[in-house]
Amino acid sequence: MTDRDRDTQIERAIVRVFREGRYSRRKFLHRAGRGSLVAASALSLPSILAACGIKPGASPSASTAPSAAPVGGGETAGVLNFANWPLYIDQDDDGASPTLAQFTDETEIEVTYTENIEDNNSFFGTIQPSLAAGEDTGFDIIVPTDWMVGNLIRLGYLEQIDVARDVPNFVANAGDKYKNPSYDANNAHSVPWQSGITGIGYNPALVDEEITSMGQLLDPAMIEKYTGQVGMFSEMRDSMSLALLHNGITPTEATMDDVRVAQETLQAQAPHVRGYFGNEYAQGLADGSLAITMAWSGDVFQLQLENPDLQFVVPEEGGMLFIDNMTIPKGAQHPNDALAMMDYVYRPEVAAQIAEYVNYVCPVPGAQEIIRQHAAEAESDEDREYLEAVAESPLVFPTEEMLSRLRSYKVLDEAEEREWNELFGEVIQG
Amino acid sequence: MSDWLRHHRALVPYLFLIPGGLFLVLFFVIPLITTISVALQEGSLGTGYRLTFNFGIFPEAIARWDEQFLRSLQFGLIVTVLTMLIGYPMAYTIAFRGGRYKNILLLMVIMPFFTSFIIRTISWKFILADQGFVLGTLKDLGWLEPGFRLLATPVAVISGITYNFLPFVVLPLYVALERIDPRLIEAATDLYASRLQAFLRVTLPLSISGVFAATILSFIPAVGDYLNAELLGSRSETMIGNVIQRLYLVNNDYPQASALSLILMFGIVISIFFYRRVLRGQELTI
Repeated sequence: MTDRDRDTQIERAIVRVFREGRYSRRKFLHRAGRGSLVAASALSLPSILAACGIKPGASPSASTAPSAAPVGGGETAGVLNFANWPLYIDQDDDGASPTLAQFTDETEIEVTYTENIEDNNSFFGTIQPSLAAGEDTGFDIIVPTDWMVGNLIRLGYLEQIDVARDVPNFVANAGDKYKNPSYDANNAHSVPWQSGITGIGYNPALVDEEITSMGQLLDPAMIEKYTGQVGMFSEMRDSMSLALLHNGITPTEATMDDVRVAQETLQAQAPHVRGYFGNEYAQGLADGSLAITMAWSGDVFQLQLENPDLQFVVPEEGGMLFIDNMTIPKGAQHPNDALAMMDYVYRPEVAAQIAEYVNYVCPVPGAQEIIRQHAAEAESDEDREYLEAVAESPLVFPTEEMLSRLRSYKVLDEAEEREWNELFGEVIQG
Repeated sequence: MSDWLRHHRALVPYLFLIPGGLFLVLFFVIPLITTISVALQEGSLGTGYRLTFNFGIFPEAIARWDEQFLRSLQFGLIVTVLTMLIGYPMAYTIAFRGGRYKNILLLMVIMPFFTSFIIRTISWKFILADQGFVLGTLKDLGWLEPGFRLLATPVAVISGITYNFLPFVVLPLYVALERIDPRLIEAATDLYASRLQAFLRVTLPLSISGVFAATILSFIPAVGDYLNAELLGSRSETMIGNVIQRLYLVNNDYPQASALSLILMFGIVISIFFYRRVLRGQELTI
């Protein structure tokens, strides 16, 4: 290992520790050396601030009457305020996004792009007071994860959109799995930005069997031999959902009883688990301290560029598909501009450009062919190999068979979320 | 103004207290009151919180998290003893034997502070990784079992905290020891005290204020620490700080998190109170 590799590895690990969700990893291999510790140092300040702003009696249900008509169908204003997760769009070496620059050239819409979503709950904490008061949040597009979209819809915090009229590229180019999702019927409020898979990652150097089923991760009898080398996620929805799948329950249909049984499954596995990780699990998988672990597809894709032996599997029982969605918060000032952006990124060539950088599961299957072309036209061998890896990886463009085994997260109401969290807290903190 | 001050000289010290006092009110008293108020509220983030004076939350919280409380206390005590065992000889050597290297030695003690606490702790993760630089080499040499690990064990967490708080122990001890007039120790030996007796009956009692400060400065942050357990530990090393962190930031259970913070704070204040009395007694009997 060269010094530079080691530096990169350390830097990635540091950034991973800072980030709460699954959003640290993008493009660290290919843009190494630009890791943004500064962005990361914000940690959970928003949620701390949110905690200070507890407003007794601030009842969100007061403002939940959904507006009858979808926004859009009008003139663009030339302004767009876009809040997204860090490292979630293409960037050139100066840190500017070619996609956004091209969008501005074409539409004359100036985009203010902020990377201030570090965590669904804490970001919700920052916009909730404005939404509850019926005020503009200052953003025209925000990118919550699927279950959070469900929450926002229930609270009446999102504008309705008409994808058939205003986002024709979505209708034409999005994969079937991304249309009419369980959390937002008929995409009446959201279109996916990027998505990813929660499954099992393992290191064949330490695991001398093929991993195909969830039992090989969760069943105490089968996992015992890897005691201390097993990783799980501290992300409650992911860990609970895998346990539900293991027990043969579709997460979206889980009852409280199912969840209690799932918790027992996790409790039984706990003595063999080394830790409940956020992004840092990827470091463990890379350095050999974890033999088998829950994993996110995008991480394993990037780790495979370094160590092609590492495996990611969607178990027989199923895996979880998380989808981050572009949505328009209630009262947004520039909805037509937001819709223009939504339509723009569903052009296959734009989707390809973003996928090449982000390495997530791309919601536009047609982008695959374009990345193949880019690979063929690539100037250096290194670029070509990388682009081929992106285009051919089932972790970026999953097969139909793989997609068919993916399930969605259950949208939890507040009481359910608290109960799930409490049950899961007992698993991870004893 | 100056005339006024001259006539009210007794007020001057209080004027000097104003900036610090305001700071304390703003950043300690007000948050403390808020914390107490939040602990006594019931509700949820979505529906809002109402002050219900739910004092039952304190016994409930203790009963629910007693294991983590005890573990934090236990880790805190072990760390305090360890930092003292490592730090006292260190401070003693610097103070009495440091000579012209004193300042360099002190600089080395505080050197780790030039890097962030979090970065240093993450670095330990690398150094102690199962297949890392240290353990990997020892395993390759066959001196350790292939399955041996330090991370995700109490040893790693306690070592991490000890390492991180050692400078807090060395500095007050150094200050206390530095102040001791070496002639007193000389006098003791002249009066037929052995070196050990001179240490036990002169040096140690004279440095007791430093010992007190040092133990407090390591015990309090060690008990409340969560970062080392988070980064170097696992489920079975969960400390009360980790529980509070999760309740605040993940579960959004602000009342319970506030209650736990208050219990922790109260427990620490009580234990320091008793500790102080014990040390005072010690001082008199020596």
